[in-house]
This record gives sequence, structure tokens and C-alpha cells, in this order.
Amino acid sequence: MPAETHVERSPLGPDEVLAIIRERLAEILEIDEDRVTLDSTFSEDLDADSLALIELVEALEDELGERTVGFSIDDDDLADLKTVRDAVDYVVARLASATG
Amino acid sequence: MNAERVTVAIDAMGGDRAPDEIVAGALQATEAIDVDVVLTGRAEEIAPLLPDGADTPGVTIVDAREIVTMDEEPAAAARTKKDSSLVRAAQAVKEGRAQAMVGAGNTGATMAAALLRMGRIRGIARPAIALPIPVPGGRPQLLIDGGSTVDCTPEWLAQFARMGREYARTRLGVDEPTVGLLSNGEEPGKGDELRKEAFPLLEKVDGFVGNVEGRDLMHGGVDVVVTDGFTGNVALKSMEGALRAAVNLVFGVLDSTPEAREAAKVITPLLLDAADVLDPDSTGGAALLGIDGVCVISHGSSSARAIVNATRVAAECVTTGVVERLKEATRAG
Repeated sequence: MPAETHVERSPLGPDEVLAIIRERLAEILEIDEDRVTLDSTFSEDLDADSLALIELVEALEDELGERTVGFSIDDDDLADLKTVRDAVDYVVARLASATG
Repeated sequence: MNAERVTVAIDAMGGDRAPDEIVAGALQATEAIDVDVVLTGRAEEIAPLLPDGADTPGVTIVDAREIVTMDEEPAAAARTKKDSSLVRAAQAVKEGRAQAMVGAGNTGATMAAALLRMGRIRGIARPAIALPIPVPGGRPQLLIDGGSTVDCTPEWLAQFARMGREYARTRLGVDEPTVGLLSNGEEPGKGDELRKEAFPLLEKVDGFVGNVEGRDLMHGGVDVVVTDGFTGNVALKSMEGALRAAVNLVFGVLDSTPEAREAAKVITPLLLDAADVLDPDSTGGAALLGIDGVCVISHGSSSARAIVNATRVAAECVTTGVVERLKEATRAG
């Protein structure tokens, strides 16, 4: 495999996105990262309210926006993100479209 | 601006009486307290209210075109209205142009804007409003949470207790504040599930004396009263309503007979003086604790006097290092 010359442009994969989301959610909710799994629901399993989700969104935009120009999360899409898996899939897709 | 003075960012468009009373209060604050102010909002509405417009000493205007209204969903408003007077005030603190912010608008949105722009103290999941409650003839109590976080977990109540206790040291000047959990009975088993689960966690908080009841508010006996934001706000509004009814009762009696009206000429000025301690404008607003910065929330119908006092509290929070003290208390657990 050739050496990566544009690290800042390489899209993140699902595993890396999941790791970032777990870390940020754990910080925001003051919970152990182990509680955050792909199947965790934001409201029932993690007690994440709308403010916590917006904290997560802004944290992701700050972190991922630095390495992927144009990355943003549409507020209208937030209602569709029920689980951590939904969020990972959504962020991976947005990253791909931003770099695409 | 003088670098040694504290600078307070004030949301000039927030509150029922904005911008007139807010700007008037901010201006008075620059004269009465050792502060400069950053006023955020529509410059064309703010400048005419200042004696020298945008060149008024001690005052900087930061233009913001949007306004967050009282009925907007807090988190969404704080995220989407980036050019609002509220978000601009929080942003001014984030960017170091001010050391504290004051807002009299949408309470939830003020909390959200402060949280998103300034961040949270590590170890605190949710901020809480710490409100001094007047105690006639005694030192004030601190009610926490006064309405910031409606749905709480037991762990959050324990966090509120630790923050409230540390804040009481600074604001109330109490060396070892006592802490009570607001419930529907003094016995340890009283309360709903939240309070029953919170009780053993609070037993690990220094100064915890057990459950207290609504009737203990305004009567001293305990320095810090801990509750969730929903119950805290209901308790506050209940007290306001009861006080208003009591005032109406007293003045009704004083106007009931010719003899009473004669007596009222002597008693009324004394009563008004004594009642000043109960005036929300005199309490100086409520500090939002748990934010990694200073944010003071004044009530929605704030007068210029309320803004002066809220600005004073904000400046004192900066000079006394409240946020650092809360961080230390949180780390110590």
C-alpha cells in the first residue's frame, strides 16, 4: 500500500468514528465509555437529552471539521438518529460526501 | 478599556424589558461597580440608549442581528442562532473579550449557549441554577437547581449539592454550609424514586443534614437546598405566589378601616423597607454552576436595578475565582 500523503483528507472509517463518538459521549454524559455501544439508544439507554446531542454534534463538527473541510451535521437530520449506530453511519456518510 | 477591570458581556436583547432596562442597568453598572460591559444585540437599538452612543466609556457594543425569544427550544436556539445577542454574549466570554456573561432572556437557551460556548466543568454532567433565597432576619439560603435541568439523575443531584456547598462558601460566606434534600418529608425514606436514590449519594456529601421540606425555604436552618430543576422552579414560583398573596392580604387590612389607614401611614414605609429583601431585583440573579465560565441569569422581567445587581454578582464570581473553586470541589468529590 502506498504511503499516505494526505492524511487530513483520508475519510474515517466506521470504527474510528465509533471511537470518537464513544469518547465524546462519555465526556458529555459523564459515563463510562463501556456503556456506549453501537446498539445503545440515545434516549433510553444513555439518557441523552436534546442538549447532550447538540453538545455531541458540536464536538463532532469541531473535531471532524478540522480534518475534513466542509463536514457539518444538518440539524434536521438529528431526529432520525436514534442509536449510536445511526450516528456512526450518518457521520461516515457525511464525511464521504464532504470529501467526495 | 482598563485591563484591570472585570468585563461582563450582557445580552442586551434578552428579557421582557429589553433593551431599555438592560442597557440602563449595564450603564449604571459601569458607574457603580468596577466593571466594563460588552453589550450584545442590535447596535442601532442599543447605541441611542447610551449617553455617548457607541463611544460611551466602559461600554463596547457587539452587533448581533438575531434574538432568542422566550418560547424557543433552548438547545436548538443556542445552536442555530449563532448571530443572536445571547450566543454572542457567550461567545465574547469564550473568546476572552469578557470574563463573565449576564442574561435575562430565555433561561434554558442561556444555559445551553453558555454550555456550548464555554464548556462544562469536568465531572459535572449538567449545570444547575444556584439562587439565593432571602431569609427574613437571617442569612440567605441557596436553592439549587432553580430550573436549569428539569429531568435529573440521582448522581446529578449529588453534583448539585457539592457545587452548591462550595458556592455557598463564596456567596453566603458560610465556612461549613449545611445541605438538605428538598422532599415531601424529613424522614430518609420520604420522596419519589429520584430522591430515595439520591439520598445515599448525598450522605457522602459534607454537611448533608437529610431531607428538608418546602416550609424550610425562607426559614433558615439549612444553607443549601438541593433539588431537581423542575421541583426547584415550582418551589420558587410557589413562594412568589404565596408572598404576593400575603402582601395583598396585609395591604388589604391596612386599607380596611379609617383607623387602619391612619396606622398604614406609619407602617407602610417600614413594611416596604423590610420587604426590599424579598424583591427579586435585589438578589442579583442566579449563577449557573457547572459551566467552565461565569454566567449569571437574571429574571425575565429584570429592571435596570436587577441588571446592576446581576452584573455585580458576575464580577464577584470572577474576582473570587468561583469556577476554579468549583473545579477543585468537584475533583475532591
